[in-house]
Amino acid sequence: MEATVAFRRREPPKLVTVITVVHLIEMTVATLLMAFVVLPMIFHFSLLSSQFWQIYGRFYVTGLFGTFFYVAVTLPLSVVLGFFMGWARVSRIRIFSWPASLYVNVFRGLPPLILVIFASLFGTSLVPQPILDRFFAGFRRGDIAVGIAAIAIGMHSSAYQAEIFRAGFQSVPKGQVDAAQALGLRPWQGMRHVVLPQTFRLSLPPLGNEFAVLIKDTSILAGIAGTELVAKSRDLLGILPANGLPIVWIFAVWTVVAFTYFVLTYSVTRGLRLLEQKFHTPGLEAISL
Amino acid sequence: MIRVEEIEKHFGALHVLRGITFHVEKGEAIVIIGPSGSGKSTLLRCINLLVEPDSGKIFIDGVHVNHHGIRHEWVRQQVGMVFQSFNLFTHLTAIENVTLGLTRVKSMPRDQAIEKARRLLARVGLAAKENAYPAELSGGQQQRVAIARALAMDPKAMLFDEPTSALDPEYIREVLDVMTALAREGMTMIVVTHEMGFASNAASRILFMDAGKIVEEGSAEQIFHHPKEERTRSFVSKILR
Repeated sequence: MEATVAFRRREPPKLVTVITVVHLIEMTVATLLMAFVVLPMIFHFSLLSSQFWQIYGRFYVTGLFGTFFYVAVTLPLSVVLGFFMGWARVSRIRIFSWPASLYVNVFRGLPPLILVIFASLFGTSLVPQPILDRFFAGFRRGDIAVGIAAIAIGMHSSAYQAEIFRAGFQSVPKGQVDAAQALGLRPWQGMRHVVLPQTFRLSLPPLGNEFAVLIKDTSILAGIAGTELVAKSRDLLGILPANGLPIVWIFAVWTVVAFTYFVLTYSVTRGLRLLEQKFHTPGLEAISL
Repeated sequence: MIRVEEIEKHFGALHVLRGITFHVEKGEAIVIIGPSGSGKSTLLRCINLLVEPDSGKIFIDGVHVNHHGIRHEWVRQQVGMVFQSFNLFTHLTAIENVTLGLTRVKSMPRDQAIEKARRLLARVGLAAKENAYPAELSGGQQQRVAIARALAMDPKAMLFDEPTSALDPEYIREVLDVMTALAREGMTMIVVTHEMGFASNAASRILFMDAGKIVEEGSAEQIFHHPKEERTRSFVSKILR
């Protein structure tokens, strides 16, 4: 009845796609242009200047680590929160779905800068004093405020991620659950082995997008004295005139910052794309951005 | 084997099932026909409790299954179900679709489950497709995998809910062949279908349903050629072209 050719296993995904190459070329060309044409020709300054890196280097490394730290805190938090909020939103049980909707609408509806301002103003007073004394005794109040503001950014992102997961859940057809039940799987088994794997695959592409947004949004913490890339770079620029350093460094610094954010967001979205290819399943393709 | 007594079901204001009573002996293949909206699918879904009847009793092998203390999961292992739209698990290959119930519901060791799944896929003529995802299979192939998936649980009976209605015409035959073979082997079956050929060849009895009731019951010969009820006559004349 069937052709007897054994089914062909899929080829492993290509690590580097045409799009990767095109993006990398574009951004590298832009940076090289800035570094070797615009800066040297108009401002007589080279990005390879050793004096520049001797001074900016320390600021850069501290700032970059700060950015990594905030991403490392907010990203996992936002995924976990977003996942459960998204799950709660599709629940038929009102006491789950209603608060989740409220959460999503509030955190999605406010600009992250406003959330950060409120979190830094009132954040520490939301944490009970005994907890502050016990776990955060060694921290300055200002740092705790920044930490809470970082969490606020994570919550902002989690509202968007909740919508991504909600869409993922709702894209799994009802018939899949029927089939799981008809086999005799318990409800949680159907969730674990049938619904969640499909939700996960359908949610991956838009999640990559949201991760890039979250990485860039951590720069908002510069507005409230967070120690990250934008803030540290601005710190250096603030002391340029007093130290008799060339004003052209402004352009150099922001070029480096821009390129750094590009590399960060680009690696994360690419990484997720690889994950997507690894879990690629015919019939479960979501639209990639 | 299966006995249904005075089943009633409402969906909101809709009175879908109005006192359905019938029984299926072991090894019988029953075909249910009737216009759309007559409650055929709901009746099937009541038997494995995907839909809970409002009142009435369902017995499987003498066990009153819509009764407190009977786990739904247990009932569903007794009767396999095949859906109109296949409902294969999209993220799993053909063989994984068949093994999922074995490993997760029956706690069968993986290698044993794979061996059993291979046997079942061979039985429905799909030994070569075990690593294909549902999206890579034709409708007919998907439906045969779905039959293998249901058979894997060693059900006492099988429910088929319009198994060929979503298929392109060229794939209907291969699915009906599998079902006919199953009926010949003595599987107890309840099949909702409008395939007259299958009904004539394989069905021991035919039930005609309309507006939530069983209007007439009889052999294929009687229902198709000498219907007693006017409603049966008018429906049969439409589907016999």
